[in-house]
Amino acid sequence: MSRGLFDALPIGSAVAANRVVFGPHVTNLGRDRSLSDRHAAYYERRARGGCGIVVTEIASVHESDWPYERAPLAASCASGWSDVSTACAPHGTLVLAGLGHAGMQGSTAWSQDVLWAPSLVPNVQTHEQPLVMGDDEIALLVNGFADGAALAVRSGCDGVELNAGQHSLLRQFCSGLTNLRADDFGTDRSALLGEVLRTVRAAIGGKVLGLRFCADELAPWAGITSASATELLASLAAGVDYLCVVRGSIYSEASTQPDGHEVEGFNEQLTSEVRAALRSNGIETPVCAQGSIVDVARASRLVADEACDLVEMTRAQIADPDLCDKTKKRRADRIRPCILCNQHCLVRDPRNPIVSCCVNPVAGHELDDAALDVDASAVAPPVGRSDAVVIGGGIAGMEAARLLAHEGHRVTLFEQRDSLGGMLRTAARLPGRERLAALCDWLDRELGEEGVTVVTGRKVDPREFPDAHVVVAATGGTSSAPWLRDGDDGSVELFDALAAAQGRTLQGDVVVLDPIGGPIGIAVVELALAAGARATLVTPDVVVGSQLSASGDLVAANARLAAGGANVVLHAVAVQVAERAVVVEDRFTGSITSIPADQCVDAGHRLPGRTWGAPARVIGDAIAPRGILATMLEARRAALELGLVTS
Amino acid sequence: MSRSRRYELLFTPLEVGPLRLANRIVFSAHLTNFAVDGLPSAQHAAYYAERARGGAGLIITEEHSTHATDWPYEKLIHGFNPAVLEGYRRITEAVHAHGTPILAQLNHNGGQASSMYSRLPVWAPSPVADPLFREVPKPVDESEIEQIVAGYADVASRCMAGGFDGVELQCSHSSIVRQFLSSATNRRDDRWGGSLEHRARLLVTLIDAVRDAIGGGAALGVRLCGDELVDNGTTIDEAVEVAALVEATGKVDFLNTSIGVATASLFAIEASMAVRPGYALFIPSAIRRRVNLPVIGVGRFKDPLQADRALREGHCDLVGIVRGQIADADFARKARSGHGEDVRLCLSCNQECVGRMGLNRWLGCIENTRTGREVRPRVVRARRARRVVVVGAGPAGLQAAVTAARRGHVVVVVEREHDVGGQVTLAARVPGRAEFGDLVRNLVRELASLGVDVATGLDADADAVEALGPDVVIAATGSLPGLPWWASDRPDGSPQLLDVVDVLRGEAVTGGRVLVVDELGFHQATSVAELLADRGHAVEIASPALVVGQDLGVTLDLEQFWVRATSKGIVQSTSTLVTSLRPGGVEVQDVRTGANGDRDVDVVVLAVPGVPDDALATSLRARGREVHVIGDARAPRRAHAAVLDGDRVGLLL
Repeated sequence: MSRGLFDALPIGSAVAANRVVFGPHVTNLGRDRSLSDRHAAYYERRARGGCGIVVTEIASVHESDWPYERAPLAASCASGWSDVSTACAPHGTLVLAGLGHAGMQGSTAWSQDVLWAPSLVPNVQTHEQPLVMGDDEIALLVNGFADGAALAVRSGCDGVELNAGQHSLLRQFCSGLTNLRADDFGTDRSALLGEVLRTVRAAIGGKVLGLRFCADELAPWAGITSASATELLASLAAGVDYLCVVRGSIYSEASTQPDGHEVEGFNEQLTSEVRAALRSNGIETPVCAQGSIVDVARASRLVADEACDLVEMTRAQIADPDLCDKTKKRRADRIRPCILCNQHCLVRDPRNPIVSCCVNPVAGHELDDAALDVDASAVAPPVGRSDAVVIGGGIAGMEAARLLAHEGHRVTLFEQRDSLGGMLRTAARLPGRERLAALCDWLDRELGEEGVTVVTGRKVDPREFPDAHVVVAATGGTSSAPWLRDGDDGSVELFDALAAAQGRTLQGDVVVLDPIGGPIGIAVVELALAAGARATLVTPDVVVGSQLSASGDLVAANARLAAGGANVVLHAVAVQVAERAVVVEDRFTGSITSIPADQCVDAGHRLPGRTWGAPARVIGDAIAPRGILATMLEARRAALELGLVTS
Repeated sequence: MSRSRRYELLFTPLEVGPLRLANRIVFSAHLTNFAVDGLPSAQHAAYYAERARGGAGLIITEEHSTHATDWPYEKLIHGFNPAVLEGYRRITEAVHAHGTPILAQLNHNGGQASSMYSRLPVWAPSPVADPLFREVPKPVDESEIEQIVAGYADVASRCMAGGFDGVELQCSHSSIVRQFLSSATNRRDDRWGGSLEHRARLLVTLIDAVRDAIGGGAALGVRLCGDELVDNGTTIDEAVEVAALVEATGKVDFLNTSIGVATASLFAIEASMAVRPGYALFIPSAIRRRVNLPVIGVGRFKDPLQADRALREGHCDLVGIVRGQIADADFARKARSGHGEDVRLCLSCNQECVGRMGLNRWLGCIENTRTGREVRPRVVRARRARRVVVVGAGPAGLQAAVTAARRGHVVVVVEREHDVGGQVTLAARVPGRAEFGDLVRNLVRELASLGVDVATGLDADADAVEALGPDVVIAATGSLPGLPWWASDRPDGSPQLLDVVDVLRGEAVTGGRVLVVDELGFHQATSVAELLADRGHAVEIASPALVVGQDLGVTLDLEQFWVRATSKGIVQSTSTLVTSLRPGGVEVQDVRTGANGDRDVDVVVLAVPGVPDDALATSLRARGREVHVIGDARAPRRAHAAVLDGDRVGLLL
């Protein structure tokens, strides 16, 4: 009998209504170190959308662990866990409390104390040496797990998931990278994890005990490999109710939740290997797959093929909390796609950004921006309330048109080009950015679903529609040119990243000016290298791609450029384009260097576009060229505001 | 000169508009990250009150945002939110209890901001993306400018209702007003851009609106940027013209100054010890020659003597001393009583004040563990005095001794070396890092005032410690140099292998070509590299990270290190992992590509994590003695961690 994603699954003494998991992740929704009402609303929204299991943000089991400012502390989470459980229970969703300790991957910025670790291996980011845990600390840690788990189930959770994956002291004990101890906890590196599992089991009885385990640290010289993981799990997995397989460790933090430069479902083979090995040892513990699984068809196949028993679709459900319901209603085509951009959901960031989503800016704002959650209101208002015109078929215009139609207006969308998608469609032509197109495709389909009349290939002026009740102008930004102190003598072809993405041939010596440090400049360099050009990236920063740590692509991007042979000029700005060269100035020393150039690509900011004036409501890049989230949010606000005013 | 007349000008009162200041020491505006949900906190009140109690002549709070479009960092005070009023009153009452006037700083950061928290477009005069935040702002239209002006007036009124004695407009290093003033960011061709008169229109309009809002009985100040240090930016001549325009309004009581742009040239605003004190005095000096208003000068004044000299030389009428009073809240009081040398001198290390601000953490201080925690109760004396033996006089041991002695314990400190201070003293031997040694100087001074002796040159083993008759032992015995895995195998003819500590202790460096291995990302590698380059060695720094000395960026030392390193010919190799020693050099690997390489060098200097030296603690524990291990002996970390450990254990006894 074939197994389906929406078949129920017994997990320990509980039963998950389906196989889709909303996995534990940093949200910054907390208040001090507690789970907040924002957490409850965030998880409830996913439960309402049909998710089978919610694992809450990992809470530290002992006060020695304070890895980021709003990291929950188990001892402070009783009421939060209770609120989350109460909110999710009516939807039949299991709620498990994530529990962990980040060990030497934590931070002392907030605790003002010392990191705990199995051995003297410094924190990779801060180079800080940890305290080598003695018997006292080990006892406190084990008791911390037991107390935290007991408190979670007492607070209404259906169980717990212990973190021995990324950012975890339990993994650090299991690994030869970080555990160099000579005592019993070193000779048997799984000893601590085993003790924690036994103690927690005793504390929670028959409630669900899940384990998140790193089965590949991507450091084969000393780290956990799939082979060593399998061996270790053979003795431990029978004691847990499910196992979630992840990868990544101290030298590969970004690999655990990578962006679209990594293939979808990158952990599938690892997961099925671990599962098969367990089965061959007679261990039937359900296994959960994790790792850029954002497509329901892929998830269904994994379950059907017995590669896993559960599928973590975390980012996919941040993007569309109704992913499960839409699939069950056989409308998976209407799921708003995660585009694996990591721009707003990866929030382990000192600035404490609240988890959100480019394609779904209501995510994380379920309480303060509830009115924008248009998908939650299933009942569509009466059709044909008024005529609305939207000019510009980029994502701003498409989103505004979609929502105006959703609110019941008769909407016509005009686009001067032959196809919709605007800048995002173009950006998706850059290497590693292909999945961005999924948002354009979805918006395009939704326009059809909502009955929007789309007119392409026609350039219109807002003043042409005096009778329309609503006119939205989303006509985009304009090109900029690098600000050069000493001008440009025309000896070098000078164009912008947009032109490069649109297919302009890159050849010869190509100098890319990247004052932003985001994905675009890097991608243009990759494009140039792929075209066989000699590429140089000029950045004002001390590293290439300085803004990419937010999406997790910083190290990988540097590696790709180095492997491709790109030249890099750091902390420099272009001051002149002359005599077949780009002249740059070192920002620190003021020294001048001339870089040979046939072409110079400006990957800098674009400029606002035309602001039209009344009665058009101007949105998107026309106001100021910004990212996807700002655009989608502005479009949504404008559409709802205008839609209400005219209804 | 008698003690009380030592800093005569500094303690000469001054009339500033309606205010009479008892002295010339200003605790000028600076970020603290103490706000909670956009509201001023109890910690704010305690923090400012402690400086008022310490004798500051005038306090100006951190900025209060005047409009919802302005939310560049998470813990900003939302002056536009009426709910701030209660917090305002708490602050002003706490400060006024000491008779000290306090002003609120008003600001809109304009384009030097992010939409991350506001979820709104960023506003600015022109669509010029800020170099730090990198968001294209929306150029404000007439109605938005009206909103900005109304916001300033609204928040100014609220500040008066909250008990402030007036307000200061931050028109300097991170402000939409400076962005309008500067041709670098104002590219408008309407009545708000172009000529200086046009560019200054927003400033003058704001002065009018705010003066109307606060009335004649309150003080109004304007803080101007004297030099943006950016291409096409404002420089001193135009800043002086702006100052004259401000004075001509007749509505302003004082001028404050600053240098640099917070998001482009922050290293100039909050200069580290690498920059000489008083470096920005040319700005108030030039402005003061042109206007009659009192002028505040700022720029790394560490001690009362420097501040008094700036006044005596006529550069300014008031001196902004921020970090000096972060490090020692009693800066003014100690100076006034003639004991300026008792001031706990700021190091200008920027590690826990400036360094924490950029990382969204509360303001702290490397040597003042109370900074940022003023809301907590003060230290109380121990109920029972114990005899405490501290072994090791590095920052951890010295701080433990200070805290324990303050609480009434009988403390003895023993130190193996002839100098106290441990690695801090060594680090301060490098040119340009000397002020780091003030950490030890301050602790030693305080110990002396508490009557605690430090016995140096005494290598105390367990027997020797027992002979001192301790009730409790604090082991602050430091760390030993670490040895990386690749350095354990040393074939014949391998380069000389030294730790940074060896070099700083004066061990001979035998060979011309030196490779410094940076696995700490801070001053250790960079400063020893400079030292050796100064001595004529050819120096390369190799780091597996993407940047050599990456945390120099946090303390605003990176730019100037690069300048010095370039002039000294120091080569910086990033993404470079040393993998083994070989005769005449080392093997390396590019961590990005896995490509192997090598270097021919004579000497390898290691800047790598240390290993705890806790042998003494282990042997004392074996004898059943109560021992507390602190500092590097617990886990090798930076100086602040050592100070924290020392303070914590001192409070625990």
